[in-house]
Amino acid sequence: MACVLFSRPNDDITLSYLFYYSKELVSESNNLGYKTINKEGKEANKEIIISVIKKQNPELIMFNGHGSPTEICGDNEEVIISVEENPEILKDSIVYSLSCSSAFKLGPKSIENGAISFIGYDFEFALGKDSESEASPRHDKIAKLFLEPSNILFSSLLNKRSVKDSVAKAKKKMEDNINYLHTTDRFPEAIYYAPFLFSNYLGLVVHGDKEASIN
Amino acid sequence: MNEKNKELEEIRKELVIERLRQAPPTVKIAFGSLNEFMNRDELIDQVQKETDIGKRIVKLQIEYLRAFKKGMLQGV
Repeated sequence: MACVLFSRPNDDITLSYLFYYSKELVSESNNLGYKTINKEGKEANKEIIISVIKKQNPELIMFNGHGSPTEICGDNEEVIISVEENPEILKDSIVYSLSCSSAFKLGPKSIENGAISFIGYDFEFALGKDSESEASPRHDKIAKLFLEPSNILFSSLLNKRSVKDSVAKAKKKMEDNINYLHTTDRFPEAIYYAPFLFSNYLGLVVHGDKEASIN
Repeated sequence: MNEKNKELEEIRKELVIERLRQAPPTVKIAFGSLNEFMNRDELIDQVQKETDIGKRIVKLQIEYLRAFKKGMLQGV
């Protein structure tokens, strides 16, 4: 069975939303019988993540965290992967990077260095929050509209769908959610979130093999 | 950037600020390298100060308005 690695830092409020939403993906990966390695909180650091990748050669990796065009970070904003230092570490993996802008330069660089596919965002990842939920991701009806498409994408990869199909499903959900934000009268601030979700929609890209899937 | 482009950028910036001003103060967005959610006034502040995040906010708002004008947002 394939090995799936999750890197899930949780050291600030925005990461706590990604952390909460990706929890169900860890469970799904376990339930599907994959060798699931979940490094969360303080364990989502460079030393541990790099060591796991070297020893386990995961077929599929999900990175949550802050990022930039050239890097993906872990706990406490420690850089785990960067264009300059170690893009080759992603060799033979399908990668989904839920972090700002990392698809822009690190994406193509990782493919040049042997990664199978790199899915990520060319721009800053935007996340809306319902002010009434008071930092409770579970009850946040706005954050759900931003993070559900991401979960659909990774769940689809776990279910052996191709990278191309998985991204298409996520984009379709984003389209539905943008239209909902644009048209709903259920809450007056909805329309002001729509441009930010549209930015995620435009920014979600794939580098490498679009037909790839895990075994 | 020539004078005409500068003027255009300034118009775009003012348009986005006006649009953001119409949002309820309860709007909260996490965006870019900042670790916290920004409210409406903080988003406006980023645009006014022309930070990297502010520039990106202007760009995404203009992209959204263009898509809306072209009718892309029905499909999207």
